Order: sequence, then structure tokens, then C-alpha cells
Amino acid sequence: MLDQPAAQLPVSQRTNPERSFTEEVRALRLGEGEVFRGEGILAVTKAILQSGVAYVGGYQGAPVSHLVDVLVESQDLLDELGVHLETCTNESSAAALLGASINYPMRGCVTWKSIVGTNVAADALSNLASPGVIGGALIVVGEDYGEGASVIQERTQAYALKSSVWLMDPRPSLPTIVRCTEMAFELSEATNTPVMMELRIRACHVTGEFVAKDNVPPSISRNRRLAEPAAHNYDRISHPPSTYAHEKIKVEVRQPAAERFIVENGLNELLPGERSDLGIIVQGGITNVLVRGLDRLEVAGRIPTLVLNVTHPLAPDQIVDFCKDKRAVLVVEEGAPDYIEQAIHVLLRKRDVDTRIYGKDVLPMAGEYTAEVVTEGLLKFFAQSANDIDLSGPRERFEAARAGRAEAQRLLGGPLPLRPPGFCVGCPERPVFSAIKLLEREVGKVHISSDIGCHSFATLAPFNLGNSILGFGMSLAAAGAVAPVMQKRTISVMGDGGFWHNGLLSGVASSMFNRGDRVLVIMQNGYTSATGAQFIPNTSGNRRDGETTSDIAATLKAMGVGWLRTIRTYNVGTMLKTLREAMSTDDKGLKVIVADGECQLARQRRIRPQIAAQLKRGERVVRTRYGVDDEVCTGDHSCIRLSGCPSLVVKPSPDPLRTDPVASVNNGCVGCGLCGEVADAAVLCPSFYKADIVQNATWWDRLRWKLRSKVIGAMAS
Amino acid sequence: MNPVTILIGALGGDGGGVLCDWIVAAAQSRGRAVQATQIPGVAQRTGATTYYIEVMPAGAPSSTVLALNPAIGEVDVALATELLEAGRMIFNGFVTPDRTTLIASTHRVLAIGERMAMGDGSFDVGRLLRAVKERSREQILFDMDQAAEESGGVINAVLLGALAGSGKLPIPDEAFEAAIRQAGKSVDTNLAAFAFGRGHARGELEQAVREHRKRQTAAQGVEDLIERARRTYPVGTLDVVEEGIRRLTAYQDRRYAALYLDRLDTIQALGSGELLREVARHLAVRMSFEDVIRVAQAKTSGERMARVRAEVRAKEQEPLEITEHFKPGIEEIAAILPPSLARRLTGWGERTGRLGKTYFSMQVRTTTVLGFARLRLVAGLRWWRPRTSRYVEEQAAIECWLRQIRGAAPLAIELAQEIAETARLIKGYGDTHKRGLANYRRISDAVIAPALAGRLPPRTAADAVANARVAALSDPEGESLTRTLAAIASTISTLKQAAE
Repeated sequence: MLDQPAAQLPVSQRTNPERSFTEEVRALRLGEGEVFRGEGILAVTKAILQSGVAYVGGYQGAPVSHLVDVLVESQDLLDELGVHLETCTNESSAAALLGASINYPMRGCVTWKSIVGTNVAADALSNLASPGVIGGALIVVGEDYGEGASVIQERTQAYALKSSVWLMDPRPSLPTIVRCTEMAFELSEATNTPVMMELRIRACHVTGEFVAKDNVPPSISRNRRLAEPAAHNYDRISHPPSTYAHEKIKVEVRQPAAERFIVENGLNELLPGERSDLGIIVQGGITNVLVRGLDRLEVAGRIPTLVLNVTHPLAPDQIVDFCKDKRAVLVVEEGAPDYIEQAIHVLLRKRDVDTRIYGKDVLPMAGEYTAEVVTEGLLKFFAQSANDIDLSGPRERFEAARAGRAEAQRLLGGPLPLRPPGFCVGCPERPVFSAIKLLEREVGKVHISSDIGCHSFATLAPFNLGNSILGFGMSLAAAGAVAPVMQKRTISVMGDGGFWHNGLLSGVASSMFNRGDRVLVIMQNGYTSATGAQFIPNTSGNRRDGETTSDIAATLKAMGVGWLRTIRTYNVGTMLKTLREAMSTDDKGLKVIVADGECQLARQRRIRPQIAAQLKRGERVVRTRYGVDDEVCTGDHSCIRLSGCPSLVVKPSPDPLRTDPVASVNNGCVGCGLCGEVADAAVLCPSFYKADIVQNATWWDRLRWKLRSKVIGAMAS
Repeated sequence: MNPVTILIGALGGDGGGVLCDWIVAAAQSRGRAVQATQIPGVAQRTGATTYYIEVMPAGAPSSTVLALNPAIGEVDVALATELLEAGRMIFNGFVTPDRTTLIASTHRVLAIGERMAMGDGSFDVGRLLRAVKERSREQILFDMDQAAEESGGVINAVLLGALAGSGKLPIPDEAFEAAIRQAGKSVDTNLAAFAFGRGHARGELEQAVREHRKRQTAAQGVEDLIERARRTYPVGTLDVVEEGIRRLTAYQDRRYAALYLDRLDTIQALGSGELLREVARHLAVRMSFEDVIRVAQAKTSGERMARVRAEVRAKEQEPLEITEHFKPGIEEIAAILPPSLARRLTGWGERTGRLGKTYFSMQVRTTTVLGFARLRLVAGLRWWRPRTSRYVEEQAAIECWLRQIRGAAPLAIELAQEIAETARLIKGYGDTHKRGLANYRRISDAVIAPALAGRLPPRTAADAVANARVAALSDPEGESLTRTLAAIASTISTLKQAAE
């Protein structure tokens, strides 16, 4: 079954193969007065339907993928409401989708992972913000900053500032998140400006409840179509000279309108406190950490706090009113640069308010604001600004906890083994990297240009392969100036997700155009697997009509790629041979290997119920898995270094004379055969065996088995 | 009013998210304010991740702001699906002796860095257990992996049961069970696992510790040899020596086992029981070197089928087909030829560039009569083994190693022990075996030889051998060993200058 190429699989399931959202879909149908229970990102999804959106789109990425994933499974509901759903091929296409709200009074919402996605969307974002919108436009971004994040480099705030779009950062509580989502559309319409809403990873996954409202069918929609397009209006086109006027309207009209709207509608929250001489201004998303921190210092409820559920624009009067007459105000703003703190300084300076502002001097400039970091910052702030508050008790407890941790670390004796993410059991991408490792044994180290996706795990142990990651679908482009200066060819690795997202044009077209002598490996596993196995153009069966939309090999051929091989990934020997050929052929153009094998996670979720049903019906099913003869294994673990399969583990040696643990295949094995292939291709050792277990055996299976066992038993003894 | 804080450490695939959902649903069903959050990200793919939950006591206002981040020293209950992850929560300061009840599985799932080591790279479990005991207030520890297996359920349900059994949450058992039923997936097995976990936490269930058994070789007709060993050697060495006798008899014959004892006698004369035991262990392994005959012996042994069936969990009545992966090359063939023929074959292989390149990929099905018979035939070549080139080479190498040990013992017994232990490098097949042998030779030339020649103080040499051995096992490319040997070489030249 593993032989089956991903591109030819039958359409068995239209839904997300990684996870089913039945419960979540039900929650989206809740009506007026019913209680919604679930995660933050699902609350946002419900809130946009309650706001009467006409269209939704997005590109998947943690932690906001579920917004679109759940809607994909809610097609019936969307059809009833008339809401259009576009699963975009990248963030740029998602941002451009909001163009509908420039000319038509339609509300729209798109989503992606920031900062990477916002970078990709930047062009469309500028030209959306410039003419502005007449229908509410909301962009929900996953602010992937801090612990568990994968892109912590930059803040979305910079985009809000430079593109003049408003940025919401709601306090992570479901009622607040829902209210902010609903108000975002109104703010957008009141100011003709797109609104972004950033949600951090913990906020997206926070559980909670709120009282739902009915979903609102949009007034213009798939179900209520327009007879005529909007009248031609050059003012709505992002092109000079309109753009000169837009630039002025942004700051002269839209921003003041937004500042008024924020105050009039109470978007920011004021938490009262008796200490009129002190204050704290905090990003909405950081509120919970701050409130618990104040509680820890036994000053909860005593310090007036301004919670900025909107972090751009700031309402100048609100800020000034809050700060004036206070001796000291602490700004709690996560990440660098300190945009909000700087803005507050400027506001106060211009109005001659001399309140002392604390911020990045007591809190760190970069990194996540965890409980510990914020507590330490608060201790410093109070020590410098209000020494009348006795913090000796809390400080002692805090220091004791830290000392305890130091003691624990001493006891454990140094860092614990890391658990980096890696390829799943049976992943079709792992064999490619095993083959690359074997190739390097022959030709020496090769420059490997890596990409975003599951395959970027190859940059971690045990493969440790890869020299750079420039962005999603960028690996081929990133080798552009490396390849010409290398004696050996470079290898760029790209996923099929990355190929459609960006690699096709910025990589392949550019390399063809420049006659680049490079090698490209495209991992064709049929989904964007790292983000939860969403469908992409080459997935067998799209979500609408079950047809496969686009084929990668056909696309490459059409683009003129001459040297093109499609290889089943599990065959390490063939993969190695093909890589060797790609590295040494006289062909000076782009050489592409399409490494074909369906995402094993998706495959298992697809076939497991099928197999269970077959077994239940009493049909013959052969289960394949691998094993290691512990008597033959000597405990060198080359196999683990070359494959890293999670089901390839070690166990104590059964040999009373040996101490090194031996390799062992655990029950997670899905029988992909890679360990056997690697043992063969790398000439490792004869420990591996393949076992085919016949379930629901036929009489013939059983008879043959009996006869064989008898004869073999006699020979063995 | 303070919330009860719960931190969960889990591995991708352990079902931490579902566990979280169960706890939240159970708390909600009792009208408690509850909040959970997680940072799954890409950690779900084999990585480690955490979940954080706060549950308010009864009567707390629903407007209470609950935290999204755990804080050091403020965790009431820490749950871990695996022991190292419990260690990680301790390491990060979340588990504290004044407050935290630690509920953790004692089994280990080794991280990739631990698994890919060339020898034993696993983190010291003793250290983990000590930290667990000293750095938490109460502990509920048992092998939840085993409990999950025995109950037929999964580990997250066992953990939930243990949490319920701990009584640390203001939530009754029925609420947890209702949450499992309400989720509607694998309800029966999850409830069984839940009951198991709860029983363990309350001390109602005893867990039989799964012991790892070492397998003794079966061999008959060696009573006199064992008797000889018992007469001669200290009691503390006998378990190893007797296994050596049995193994070498099964591997070759009685005479070969007698040769083993003859060799050991020369080590016994050195007067150290500890040294004798280590040499006896390594010598038996070295003398039963891995050649195709041994592999065929192992793959056709009588107990193997039962072992494989258990390992792959084949049920009774389920036919099984086993396919072996072999890939002998010119060297493996030469190894079983007599030395003169072997030399001619490898010489030809070198001239034609086929050596190390030409292999014969074979997939043998040992569950078919013909496939099994083929391997049985190879195993039957045992009588021929003493005439093979590999045998001759191995015996020479063994003698050389024993000579080094005997030479070192009068200088310093530690040095002799380190030399004995260095035999550990020589193992495996093909490239692995070649690399191990080469590493041994490099250490031998750079450290052992100078020490035996008196150019390096014996105790310094003992440390140097130990360091070099660790270095040889730290990376397959040998970079670490090169650095270590260079450092030792510079020590030798400094010593030489100092002496002059």
C-alpha cells in the first residue's frame, strides 16, 4: 500500500485528515443566548459569523489554522449563510481577497500566521490599506511569539504602523476576544481601514465560554448576488495620483476617527485601583500574566491599569488622561522594538506631562513575557517608583522559588536531553534525508538549502542537514548565488506546500530563467503537513469537487524543466542512485527530483478505520512491521543515526555479556520499511527483519503455516 | 481565592490535548471556573509539549482572571506522561517540595540524542528519580505505559485516573468518567485505563515491576568446564565465565570454550578479580565474533520464532512471514575462506575497485522451508570456522589484546582494566566493525604502546585510554577521537621534554 503514489489515491475523505472538527462545527451553529464553550480561535470563528461576514479566507499556520480548518468542515453552514470560503495558496492571495471590501459593503475576514505570513502579504496589505475599505475587513493573525513559537523574530505591530492598519491585541478571555472581533468590523467600517487582530499561541488555545448570538447572513453574498459591479471610481484604485490623496486621508481622517471610535466604544479597559500615583499600561494579550503578577506581589486591584485591547492607534487623550497626575507608569509591552512605549513618551512629551515612564528599563527588550519575567519587572518597577509598598514577603518567595530551581538543576546535573520535533513514524520524507546522508558519505558534504515544512526537521538531530532557511518556498532561490561558487552542486529541499506557496515562481521560474545548475528535491506528500495536513493544489481530490487540481510534475514539464524524476521515497537505494545522478549528470539546467510518498500521519488516519472495518468483516488483512533481532544487534545505533524513526528505540541488551543497549522496533511501527531499506543501502547489519502477520487467515494460509512450522521446527532442533 | 494549578508535560502522541479536554469538561460539569491552554506548535511531531490548567474552587466569581502561563513555585499538581518530562518540569522550577504533587509515569522514552549515541547514551534514571523524590511534595509514580498496556487503554486515561485518585482536585471521580463518556471515543478502554490509574494512585493495585531479563545461552555437556572454572576462579567472576563457556560452546565447540579458559588462566595469574571479570566478559564477546555463520545460527535458533511472534504481537493462530535483510559483500565472503584464498579474493577486489562496492542484496524468507534451509546450511558451517581467514585474524587480535593487558597489569592494574574495557569499541558488522577496529588500533598505537614502553606514566595512560574510548564513542566521524589523541600526544612530548 505504501507503493501507492500520493497523487493517485482515491478521494476517501474530504475533511482534514489529521483531525475531525465535528464538535467545533456544532459550536458554530449556536444561537442567541446559548453558551459557547471552546478555544479562543474557535470563538473568533463564531464571532465573525455573528458579525455577518460575506467571505473568509486564509493560509494555514500555527496557531490560527483552525479558523479555516473548522470552516472547511462547515460547508453546509456556510452555504446556508451564503458565506464564501477561499482556502488561499498563500498569505498574499489571502490579503488580496480583502480587496472585495474596497468597492463593496461586504465584511470579510482572512487569517494567517504572523510574522512570516504578514511579510508575504505585505504588498497586498499596502495596497488594501491605501484606498481603504467600505466593508469591514479583519485580518486575524497568529502572533507566534515566545515559548513554543517557531517565528519569534519580529512583531506584527510594525506592519500596523507602516501600513496604517489598526491592530487589536485582545485580553485573552473569550468574551473580550469575541467583543473585539465584532467591534473590529465596526471600527473598520467607521474608519475605512482594515483591522488586524493578533492572538498569541496561548490565547488561541485558551478555553472558556461566552454567550452566543445568532449567525447573521450577509446582505451581499453568494446567496444574494449583485446585479452590477461597482461604478468605476478611480479614488478606489491604488495607483497615483489616488495614492497621494490616500496617504493624507490615512493620517488626517482615518486615524483621528479610529482614536475617537476606540474611546467612545470603550475598546480599551480601565482596571481601577486605589494608588492614584501609579499606573500600568499593558498590551491586552499580556494582561493575564500582569494581573497574576500583581496578585503574586499582593498588590492586586491596587494599581490602576489601562488594558490596550487596541495597540494601534493609541488614543492620545486616553493615554494622557491616564498618565497625568501619576508619578510613575509602567508600560508592559512584549517584544522589540518598544513601539508603544516610544509612542507614549512622545505623547506625554508633547503635552508636557512629566510622569516617569518605566518599561524596557525594568523589563527585557526581547523574549516572551512569562510569569517569571513579568514578576521580576514588577519588583524592579515598584522598588524604583514606590518604596512605600512592602514587597519583602513576595520577593523572598520569588527568590526562594528561583533558588529551588537552581538546586533542582544541580541535582539533575546539567541540561536534560532535548526533544526536538522530528519526522513522524513512517514519514515519507525521512528516507530522502537518509539517502542524502549516504550520498554525503560518497561525495562529501553538500550545501543544502532547506525550507519551511516538516522537512526542516532534517536540520535537527539525527540528520543535522541544512545550511540555511530563508522562508517558505525559498530554498531554491536561496541557493541562487551559492550554486555558482560551489564545485559540487547544491541541493535545495522544498515541500509541495512550499512549492505552491512560493517556490514555483521565486524558485523554479527564476532558476530556469537564469539557467541555474542546481538540484531541487520536492517532497510531494500531498498536504501542508506541518500545519495540520491541509489540502493543497496537488492533493488527490480538492475539497470542492474531488478532482486533483494541479500536478507538480506536469507543471514543471510545462515550465520547461528537462531533467525530472519522480521517485517513491521509501526506496532509499533508488533515491540515492537518483541523487547521485542529479549531482553528476552533464545536464547543466535545473534538475528536479519529485520525492513522492503520502504524509504518513494523514495516511494512517485515512486507512486505520478502513482496516478496522475489514478486520471486523473477517477479511484477510496482512499487517507488516519490522523488528530487530536483539541477539544480532551489537548496539552501535548507526540505524538510528541514519533514520531517526521514533519507533526505532533502544532497550537493554538481553546479552548478559554486553552492556550497550540494543536497537528495537516498538509497536508504533507502521511497516514503512525504511529501517530495512537503510540497513540495505548503508550495508549496516543483518539485525532487521520484516514480519508480515496474516490476520483473519484463510484455511490455505493456516495449512501452509502449519506445514512449514513443522518442517522448520524439525530442522531447527 | 486561589486556583488549583495543573501543569502537564507530555510527548507528541500521548494525547495530552485530550487529557486537558477531559479535565476541563469535568471541572465545568461541577460548575468550577476553569481555564486551560497549550503550546502545541510543531512539538506534536515527536517533541515535548506542555499544557496548563487552572481550576477555581467552588463559589469563585466567574470574572476571575486566570493565568495562561505556569509560574515557578506555583504549581499544585504536575502530571507527566514520561519520566524525563517530569524531570524537565523539575528542571524548570515548576515542581517544588513545598507545594507540588507530582504524578508521573516512571517509564522512559529516550530522546533522539540518547538513542543515537554509539553506546549507552541514556540519561541517568537515578538522578531523575532522586530529583523527583527530593523536589516534589508528594509523588504518585508508576509505570503508566505498562498500566496502559495492561488495561488495554492509553496513557492519558491512566494519568487522568491517577489525578482523580490523588484527590488533589475538587472534582469527584464520576465527573471525570462522565467526561470520558461525553467525549465518546474508545470509551470502554479509556474507562478501564482510568480505573487502573486511579487504583494505582490509591495504592489499591500493585504493579509487578517488569524486569529486564538477560538471556543465558543453552549448552549441554560443559559441566566439566564449568567445574574447572569453579575450582579456579573467584565466585564474583563465575556468572560471566560460565556464560562465556556456554556461549563459546554453542558458538563453536567444547575445545573453543576450553581455549577461553586457558586464556583466562593467564589473566587470573595477574591477581585481580575485577580485571578477570571484565576480561572474561569481553573475551567471550570477542571470541564469539560476528560472522555470517553466527548470524545464521542466531536466525535459525529454536527459540527465535516465539521471540519474534511476541515482539511483533502476532496472535495465536496468526500465520507469520519473516523476511531477513542480508547484504554480504566481498569481505564477508572472504571472511569465511581460508587465509590464502581470502587474500587472493580481496586482492582482486581491490584491483578491480569492487571491494566495499559490490554487495549481494538478499532477502531471505526464513518462514519458508527453502529459505530456512539455506540459513541452516550456513549455520552448519560452524565446523569450518577455525579454517577461515576471519578466525585467524580475530585470534591474532585477541592474543595481542591479552598481551597488552598482561603487560600493563604489573605497571598499574587500572591501565590493564582500561585496556580490557577498550575492547568494547570492537563490535558490529561491515563499516561499524571496521571503524571500531581502526579506533582500537589508533588508541593502541597512540596510548597503549607508549605506556607499555614506559614513555607514559601508567596512571596517566589509564586516564588517557579511558578518555580516548569515550571520545571514540562520541561521534562516528572520529573527530572527537582525533582531538583527544592529539591532546594525549602533546602530553607525551611534554613529558619527554621534562624527562630530558
